[in-house]
Amino acid sequence: MKKIGFFVLGFILFLGPFSIAMAQQTPTICAIHPFTGRFAFAGIEGSAAMQDVVDMANEAGGINGKKIQYYWADGEYKDDVGIAAFKRLYAQYNPQIMFGQSTGMTKALGPEIKTRYKVLYSAYTMTSEAANPKENPYLFLAAPTYAEQFAVLLKYIVKEKPGANVAFFYSDTEFGREPIAAGREMCKKMGLKLVAEEVSQVGGVDITTQVLDMKAKKVDYCIFQGYVSNPIAAVIKQSKDYGLNAKFMGTFWSTELQLLKELGPLAEEYTGVTAYSFYFQEDVPMIKKIREWTQKKYPKVEYRSQSYMENFATTLLYVECFKRADKMKGGFTGDNLVKALQSIKNFDVGGLMPPITIKDNSIPVGRVYRGNSKTVKFDPISDWIRLD
Amino acid sequence: MDFSILIQVIVAGLATGGVYGLIALGFVLIYKATSVLNLAMGEFMTLGAFICFTALTIVHVPFWIAFAITVIFAILLGIAIEPLILRPLIGEPIISVIMVTIGLGAILRGLMYMIWNPTYRAFPQIFPPKPFNLGFAVVPSGLFWGFVFAVITTVLFIFIFKFSRTGVAMRATANDQQAALSMGVSVKKVFALSWSFGAIAAVIGGIVIGNISGINIYMGDVGLAVLSVIILGGLDSIGGAILGGFIVGILQNLAGLYIDPLVGGGAKDVAPFFIVLIILMIRPYGLFGKVIIERV
Amino acid sequence: MRCGDYKENYIKDEEIFQSRFVKFWLALFFIFLIVFPFIANAHMLYVSNIIGFAVIGAVGLNLLTGFTGQISLGHAAFVGVGAYASAILITRLGISFWLSIPLAGLVSALAGMIIGIPSLRVKGLYLCIATLAAQFIFGFIFVHWESMTKGITGIHIPPPQIGGFQFSTEKDFYWITLVFVVLGVGYARNLVRSKMGRAFVAIRDRDLAAEIIGINLFRYKLSAFAISSFYAGVSGALWVSFLKVVTPDHFPFTLCIQYLAMVIVGGLGSVIGSIFGAIFMTLIPEVLNVMAENAKNYMPGMEHLLIPFKDVVFGFLIVSFLIFEPRGLAEIWNRIKKFFTLWPFSY
Repeated sequence: MKKIGFFVLGFILFLGPFSIAMAQQTPTICAIHPFTGRFAFAGIEGSAAMQDVVDMANEAGGINGKKIQYYWADGEYKDDVGIAAFKRLYAQYNPQIMFGQSTGMTKALGPEIKTRYKVLYSAYTMTSEAANPKENPYLFLAAPTYAEQFAVLLKYIVKEKPGANVAFFYSDTEFGREPIAAGREMCKKMGLKLVAEEVSQVGGVDITTQVLDMKAKKVDYCIFQGYVSNPIAAVIKQSKDYGLNAKFMGTFWSTELQLLKELGPLAEEYTGVTAYSFYFQEDVPMIKKIREWTQKKYPKVEYRSQSYMENFATTLLYVECFKRADKMKGGFTGDNLVKALQSIKNFDVGGLMPPITIKDNSIPVGRVYRGNSKTVKFDPISDWIRLD
Repeated sequence: MDFSILIQVIVAGLATGGVYGLIALGFVLIYKATSVLNLAMGEFMTLGAFICFTALTIVHVPFWIAFAITVIFAILLGIAIEPLILRPLIGEPIISVIMVTIGLGAILRGLMYMIWNPTYRAFPQIFPPKPFNLGFAVVPSGLFWGFVFAVITTVLFIFIFKFSRTGVAMRATANDQQAALSMGVSVKKVFALSWSFGAIAAVIGGIVIGNISGINIYMGDVGLAVLSVIILGGLDSIGGAILGGFIVGILQNLAGLYIDPLVGGGAKDVAPFFIVLIILMIRPYGLFGKVIIERV
Repeated sequence: MRCGDYKENYIKDEEIFQSRFVKFWLALFFIFLIVFPFIANAHMLYVSNIIGFAVIGAVGLNLLTGFTGQISLGHAAFVGVGAYASAILITRLGISFWLSIPLAGLVSALAGMIIGIPSLRVKGLYLCIATLAAQFIFGFIFVHWESMTKGITGIHIPPPQIGGFQFSTEKDFYWITLVFVVLGVGYARNLVRSKMGRAFVAIRDRDLAAEIIGINLFRYKLSAFAISSFYAGVSGALWVSFLKVVTPDHFPFTLCIQYLAMVIVGGLGSVIGSIFGAIFMTLIPEVLNVMAENAKNYMPGMEHLLIPFKDVVFGFLIVSFLIFEPRGLAEIWNRIKKFFTLWPFSY
């Protein structure tokens, strides 16, 4: 019994490194998407984006002939389920690159990714913790962090009206509070007066006190953070009722078409920052490519949101990192992929974003758009603003 | 002390309280007859909002017809739930029934996801968007109409319960099921009807909230804040539901006005629960709930 | 074959393991638990740890809701209090993990007692919603008392260690979890056959009669809240040491519902029911997830319908369990046991 046991053990130990080496030859991406839960709309679009990029890359020959494998799981936007899914996918497919569903999951797994898993990792988040190459070189964002988005908006405000009264309106969650401290610092540095900070639950029905507080403090600009659609529309509508003449701005997750549809005739009141071109900007070469692909493969889909664009850009970077790592000694290892990531400078993505240079593991660019109630689209009111 | 802001805040609180009261009404109607706390109320609300939305945007009927369709749907929902969920659980501890309502909520959520996908949607404009101007205060259109609906629905139900035969039958069943049965009241029908009434209140609440803040399949989370309203008003008092709603709405806004700046926000949402704890220490059955006197 | 009741004294009647058959299979089960980490992969170990924490929390809730009849919708808050207490003790006061766990449990028990004070006057569903108030108030405190809890950034916790050995992987932590689960379940099972346990059950069944025969209602209700919160606190402290991070987002209201579901589906008033319930509520979503992912191999294109279907299946399972066996999984287990006790003559 013992002899057989040792033989089996030896066989497994022999196979072990062999199989790992074999697994490493197949470029594999595993992603945890929030298919159910509050961010389900983002999960569905994001997964479609990753699938599309992988399919496009495989159609064009893959990574020097090797086809990229892509597997996903539903994290239900719950940390426990997400982390369990992460470990399950890692154990099953041995990927070199992974993608997470939320800020919470990223924070929980960060230390383990650094010491144990060593996979290149990004997520549906724009927290500054994921853009810290010294603390954790494996984490990166294909987007500006929330703090950087605030910087873009505040820069825009300073150009329009220096010394203006600014208010932050954010949700009582991690998502909402994350960039506020940095935002306060930036206001001081740029000479803007932060006169009010309003907090509300996501989906609050009554935001009267917040609106009245902003009116009393004569707020000129109000920046939203931590919401997707409500209560932003309710705040903007009710501010008109109460006579608050402020301009409203928002960050990535709220700068979406669905907000414009809710605002109706008030769409001009909202200005947002985002790092990607929109689906309806047909003159952008990459957007044209996405539109052709979508109409061919998913004829019923009419629109792709910004969550799609974010994941699209992230996966383009993943594919590029695979290509560069393939040329390095050792192939697709986490450390090679990190080196590949750092080497990305002025990478052309056909107008989806300006040519990408990774700085401090994020891409600090943004563009300001204003809503247009007649066309129900966003019009760009600035050029690409770079924060480096 | 700026009185105009205070009055404005109180008026807005009153209006929001009306909306809360509507959903609280749904809880109370079901509890009154069947002693069940229906934790799937949020999903009923969302379902109502989606049915109305579909009727308005896909079938393109005018609002009154969409509203009627939604109400009929609510009645059918109540009638369907009674034999499927309540009858098999007669006699079981009440907590099992509450758990079943939670399971029911999960089923409804999954079904709604499959039928309407999870994007956020704007509700088509059904009320005139101009705010209602009272002179000393302004009430935004969505809140004002929500308040109107809430008051009309509450008064309607109070009349039904007090003066109609069905209402009396329901009160009898809530009081003593055996006695009601022996008087010829069909307890099964009363249960089904009370769930239908609760569903009607919920779907109206859903339409109102959808109008204010847009719809998505997770909008039912508001249902939790309303639990503090029903405790305040008393679990089995219809008038208490709407009055509790007003009180909570006003107190929330006062907390938002005075306490939020001190703690950096968020006090508005937790204030109703503080109030609930205090009220319960003084009046353990809520302000207007039926006091259960236990005799040995 | 045991087809009668031949106990000759009360001690034998109250024995937890009443036959050699049961003791044998229990020993086998323990051997399995000890061998398990050597044959399971990281994912299974992760899930086992989560099940362990859930068991401790569920046993606590069952003591309060199943045995004493006080429905509590605030369990997640006490899990959070214990979690934060442990995190703060470890990171700020430098107390070792081993000491911080019981201390966190005590802090949580204190919080539980404070919330239990209304239980003197308030009953039934009203108490239920008062505990819900506790849930939201504590949630507010977690986010806003930034000087202690660091607000939404959360606290990073180093892994526990003995000497130089760090318990940083799932496999290492499994042993800690196993020890605490065994201790917790053992204590609870003994508690319910002791004087205090009988007092709890009396309060649940007829509290006025209990008061008349001399059970101090307030004292025992507060004890129930305290013990239940102690368990919750220990569960929370272990959980966040395992995750190595604690944020307010970890303790939402849905966690309360989950614990309540564990206790109700598992079986109110039964310690083994809590264990079944915890396993059920943790494993079923995992199994459904795995099935949904693999379904795309058999039904391509349908996976986006299957994902929400998980919710439907889950709700349906809960509803049907409660309709067909309202006393939960523990009752099903008892029926199976009775069947086999008298097999082949069980009719």
